[in-house]
Amino acid sequence: MRPDAGTPMIELDNVSKSFGDAVAVDGISLNVPAGSLCVLVGTSGCGKSTTLRMINRLIEHTGGEIRIDGHQIRRFNEVTLRRRIGYAIQNTGLFPHWTVARNIGVVPRLLKWDKARTRERVESLMALLGLDVEAFAGKYPHQLSGGQAQRVGVARALAADPDILLMDEPFGALDPITRSSLQAELLRIQSRIRKTIVFVTHDMDEALRLADQIVVMQAGRIIQQGTPSEILAHPSDDFVETLVGGRDRGLKRASLTPVGEMMESLPDDGRVPAVHVLQTDSMRLAVSLMLWHGVSQLAVVDDTGETVGMLPLRRLVDDFGE
Amino acid sequence: MVLALGGLAVLALWGLDAVRIQPNRIVSGTGHGLIEALGTGPALLVMLPLALVMALAWRPTRGREALMLMLVTAMLAAMPWALSLFIGQFIDDPGGAARAAVSGASWLVGFALILMLIDLRQRLQPGALVTLVLIAVSLGSLGVAFGRGALDSLALVQEYEVRRAAFAEAIVNHLILVGVAVGASLVLALGLALWMRRVAGVRQGVLGVLSFIQTIPSLALFGLLLAPLAWLASRFPLLSDLGIQGIGWAPALLALVGYSLLPMTRNTFIALDGVDPDVIEAARGMGLAPLQVFFQVRLPLALPLLIEGIRITTVQAIGLAAVAALIGAGGLGTFIFQGLGQAAMNLVMLGALPIVLMAMLVDALLKALADAARRGDADDRTG
Repeated sequence: MRPDAGTPMIELDNVSKSFGDAVAVDGISLNVPAGSLCVLVGTSGCGKSTTLRMINRLIEHTGGEIRIDGHQIRRFNEVTLRRRIGYAIQNTGLFPHWTVARNIGVVPRLLKWDKARTRERVESLMALLGLDVEAFAGKYPHQLSGGQAQRVGVARALAADPDILLMDEPFGALDPITRSSLQAELLRIQSRIRKTIVFVTHDMDEALRLADQIVVMQAGRIIQQGTPSEILAHPSDDFVETLVGGRDRGLKRASLTPVGEMMESLPDDGRVPAVHVLQTDSMRLAVSLMLWHGVSQLAVVDDTGETVGMLPLRRLVDDFGE
Repeated sequence: MVLALGGLAVLALWGLDAVRIQPNRIVSGTGHGLIEALGTGPALLVMLPLALVMALAWRPTRGREALMLMLVTAMLAAMPWALSLFIGQFIDDPGGAARAAVSGASWLVGFALILMLIDLRQRLQPGALVTLVLIAVSLGSLGVAFGRGALDSLALVQEYEVRRAAFAEAIVNHLILVGVAVGASLVLALGLALWMRRVAGVRQGVLGVLSFIQTIPSLALFGLLLAPLAWLASRFPLLSDLGIQGIGWAPALLALVGYSLLPMTRNTFIALDGVDPDVIEAARGMGLAPLQVFFQVRLPLALPLLIEGIRITTVQAIGLAAVAALIGAGGLGTFIFQGLGQAAMNLVMLGALPIVLMAMLVDALLKALADAARRGDADDRTG
C-alpha cells in the first residue's frame, strides 16, 4: 500500500484557487515525498491553509492538478477521499457531545469497522499519544486540558491508519511548553509511523523543528522551498530572512545542528575539558554552556557518559558560519 | 424567599377572605375569613405550621431545608381537607344550590406553598424520585379529596360536575390544537431555518414577515382569516367537507401556526447556526457525508436550544389557544368565555386553571428535556 520513500505521495501541479475575482492561491507546484513531513509556513492570509484544505477537497481547486499517489483527487468521491486522509485542526474541532473514545473512533465507524477492532485501535492510539485509556476514554472534550484535547485530535486523525495526515496549525492555540512537548511527541510518533504529513503553521521555529521540507508562502505563491538548513542558510529574499529571524538565525541554525556533527577528536595530551555536553544536544545548547561556565571548550559525551570528543569555541567561528 | 412567601401567606390568612359562600351560582355571596369564622385562638393554631416553616427559614441549613420541604408538602396535601372542613362550617347540604368559591386567602396560600416547594426543591436538588413523590403526595391528596366528595360544595367542582363530558372534550381539543400547531410550526420552522442558512439574503425577509404576523392582535387575525377561508370553502366543496370553514378549527390552527412560527423559526435558526464552525469543519474533514454532518453533529449540538424554542412556543400556544374558542374552535377557552358571558367566575376558573397548569407542566417537562439534551448521550462510551 505505502509507496517507497522518495516517490511523491502528494503532487500539486500549478494549482490555483480563486474566490470570485480574489486569487487565494496562485499557481503553486509542490511535491511531498511519501513518509516525509512538509511544513507550509507564512503569515496569515498567505494561502497556506487554503492549500492544505484543497488536498482533502474541503476547498475545490479552480486551476491545475492535485494528485495523490499518482491519481487526480477529482477522480475520488470527496467523502471517500477524506476518510483516507487524516485531518487535525487548531482548536481541535472535537465533537463536544461525544466521548474521547467515540471521537477517536469516528472514522473507523464511518468505514464500518467492527466494534472490537475499533475499540482495539482506539486504545492503541490513546497509548501511542500518552492518554491513559481508563482515565480518558469516557471523558468529554470539555473535561480535557488544551494539550490533552489536541492529543485526542491527533489520535482521531490517525484512527483509520491513513497514509496522509493534514495538520492545520494543530498546536497554534497551546501554551509554549505544551506546544513544545507536543512537537517532540509528533517527531517521536512520525519516526515510528512514517506518514506523509502536510503541516501548516505561521511559526517558523515550529517549521524549522518539525520539517523535512519547508515551503514558504506569501500572497498565494511559493517564494521558497527547501530543507530547514537550506532555508536558514540561503533565505531567498528579505521576507524569508525576516521569517527565519534575521540576525538571530545563527542561533536558530545552531539549535538545529547536533553537537556530534561539529565535534573534534580528543587532543593527544589527553586533557579533557571540565564541562561536558551530550553529542545529541544542539549546538545552541553548547554555546549556552560555554557562555554560562565561561569556558572556551567542552567535552562531548555519548548517552552512556563516555567521552567521545571535544568541542572548542573556534569550531563555531571557523566552520559553522557561512 | 421562603420567609417572604410564608409572611405573605400569614398576612393573607389574617386579612383576606378564605372562601366566599354563595346561595346560588350567580349571586356573589358573602366572604368569610379565618379569624372571623374560627376565632383568634383556633386561627392562630391553623397558622402554626406556617410559622414553624418561617422559623426554620430564619437560619437555613440543609437539614432544616429538608424539614421545611416535608412540612410544606404536608401543608399542601392538607389544604383540600382543611378547605373542606372550613366550608362545612357554612354549608350543611353538599349538592344543594349553595356553594363555596375559593377566595383570596386560599388562593394566595396555595400559590405561596407551591412556590415554596419549587424554591426548596431548587435549593436541595433532590433526585427525580423524591420530586415525583412530592408531586404524588400533594396531587394525590387533592385527587382523593375530590374523589370522596369532600370538595363537592366548591363552586368550581359543581361547575365541573355538570360539564364532565364537555370538560374532558375541551382538554383533548385544547391539547390537539396546541399539539398540531406546534408540530406543524416545528416542521415549517425547520424548513425555513434551513432555507435561511442556505440563502443568506432571505433571512431578514423571513424574520420580518414572521415578526409582522406576531404584531397582529389574535382576534384581528381570526377575523382576517374568516373571509378567505369561507371563500375557499364555498369555492372548493372538498375543503368544506374536510371541515375547513371561516370559523372553527381551521382558522384557529392557521393563526396558532402563524404565531408559533416566529419564536420557533428564530430559535431553530439560532440553534442550527450557532454550532461551532470548527466542529462542522472537522466533521467534514473526517469524511462525514453532508447528511451525516447534519444528523450526527449539527442537529444533536443544536438540540438543547431547539427544545428551548419548542418550550417557549408551546407555552405561548397553550395560552393563545384559549382565544380560539371565540371562533368556535373548542378547547378550554370555551368555559372562560361562557363564564364571562354568564358572569359565573367559577366557570371562568374551570377553563383558566387547567390552562395555567398545562403551561406550567409543559414548561417544566421541556426544561428537563433540554437539560438532558445538554448533558449529552452519556451512556455511549464505547465508540
